[in-house]
Amino acid sequence: MKWWLIAWREIRWEVFLDRASLLRTAIFVVIPIFFVLSNRGIAPGASGDVALIGLALQSVFFPSLSGVALIAATFTAEKENGTLVPLLAAPIRDFDIVLGKLVGMVLPVMAACAVTLAAGYGLAGYRYGYERVARVLTPELLYAVLVLSFLYLVTTGSVTMIVAARVRSSRAAQQIAGLVIALSAAVFAGLGLVASQVGEGWPLLALGVGLVLFDLVALEIARRVWQRGEVIGRV
Amino acid sequence: MIDVRGVTRRFDGVVALADASFQVNPGEIVALLGPNGAGKTTASRIIGGILAPTEGDVLVDGVSVREDANAVRARCGFVTDQPSLYERMPLRAYLAFFARLYDVGSPDTRAAELAKLLGLDDVLDRRLGTFSRGMRQKVAIARALVHDPPVLLLDEPATALDPEMAQILRGFIVSLRARHRAILLTTHDLDEAQRIADRVVVLYKGRVVRIGATTDIRSAGRPRYAVAFAGDIAAARDALARAGIDAEAAAAKNGLAVLRFGTDDPATTNPAALRALLDAGLRVVTLSAEERSLEDAYLAILAEARR
Repeated sequence: MKWWLIAWREIRWEVFLDRASLLRTAIFVVIPIFFVLSNRGIAPGASGDVALIGLALQSVFFPSLSGVALIAATFTAEKENGTLVPLLAAPIRDFDIVLGKLVGMVLPVMAACAVTLAAGYGLAGYRYGYERVARVLTPELLYAVLVLSFLYLVTTGSVTMIVAARVRSSRAAQQIAGLVIALSAAVFAGLGLVASQVGEGWPLLALGVGLVLFDLVALEIARRVWQRGEVIGRV
Repeated sequence: MIDVRGVTRRFDGVVALADASFQVNPGEIVALLGPNGAGKTTASRIIGGILAPTEGDVLVDGVSVREDANAVRARCGFVTDQPSLYERMPLRAYLAFFARLYDVGSPDTRAAELAKLLGLDDVLDRRLGTFSRGMRQKVAIARALVHDPPVLLLDEPATALDPEMAQILRGFIVSLRARHRAILLTTHDLDEAQRIADRVVVLYKGRVVRIGATTDIRSAGRPRYAVAFAGDIAAARDALARAGIDAEAAAAKNGLAVLRFGTDDPATTNPAALRALLDAGLRVVTLSAEERSLEDAYLAILAEARR
């Protein structure tokens, strides 16, 4: 369980004490809530239901974006400050280091996603009627949306880790993270459009399956590029 | 305790370490010397299990780094030139974190013990980001000692420390030798190496070009002597030249002129030198053997390696 030691250290001493990351996460939490508040009305019928699902997706998607920047920052900061060397010198498996750092970033962001989703759900119920919101956003769908955001976070996190292993500065990593965020926003917007056209929830399932497959590949690459020998060659 | 056996390491085809072999025994400090890019850091990282050797093997406390790198890491304490600390963490939490990573029982107690040992017990709850350079290096040493390892790998531990702090650090390293630790000290500071190292390993372009006891390495080569006298230095040189001794002028000492010469046969040359100087009417005050510094010996070894 050494990965948990690393994860908890990240959460306790890096995420919670990093004002910039807290502010960034707070902004990404507020944006979807603002969308719920600023939406003038939800049309009756299927199109309105899709809009509600869209709001729910935004509630988890936006906080997830902050996680990408967080992961980029933490890995390159370790490289820049040389703090990775003592960690690599300890009797820990390479995978535990990668897993620990990833979990340390993913957990707080998932908590932010859950909070935003709950807040968005409550606000949407207040504005558009609890009965309607409960009918569209079923517990199963909310659960699926959270799982989707988790998979998205692991996917983009793995990609960011791979990039962070290659770049030299946290500035460069942040720029790459920005690119990942922009690209994924575009992809999700496209997928959202497809989901609204096809309906029945199948696109969401397909997206989930796609993300799981991508995660497996990306995590394996991330594990390889963060192996001791590889990392030390670049520190 | 540390047994490096024919280790080679290549990075993208570039040889950083080539067939290196040496040992470090318990209760011994071995200085790993060499110019930049000689492979010192690569060697200590391979020994510490951070980097895998391309060829060869390292045994640490009898455990092969190839077979069980994690067990090797658990036996090594690693100090780098940069303290590399998590700046947001307080000292207590930082040391306890590493104690847990090394499976130390009672991590908080161990953190407090180490802080006391290194004189940091009054700043246990202060954030590491507020520490001075010397304090940070002490923390890095405490981190390396957190699991009480039998082997210590110190990579430029005194870099950027002020002389007083460097002296304290040297004293501490020597105290660890007394506690039977095997210590590999990678350094550019030859004065530091001369003071505390029992043996020296010199690397050049990844190859071990000299291994030996520090005293043996310093005394190797042609013995040199210095003669201090009152009188004209040019006349003295001429007198020595007539006796077949090639001397060079050195800085004056205590108002006396000084000439230096080397000889393979001091029993014959030194009386001849004295006689020549006295016959020339010069008042010789001292004729003494010159102790070669490790720096001189090291530079001579490198010059030889380059040839």
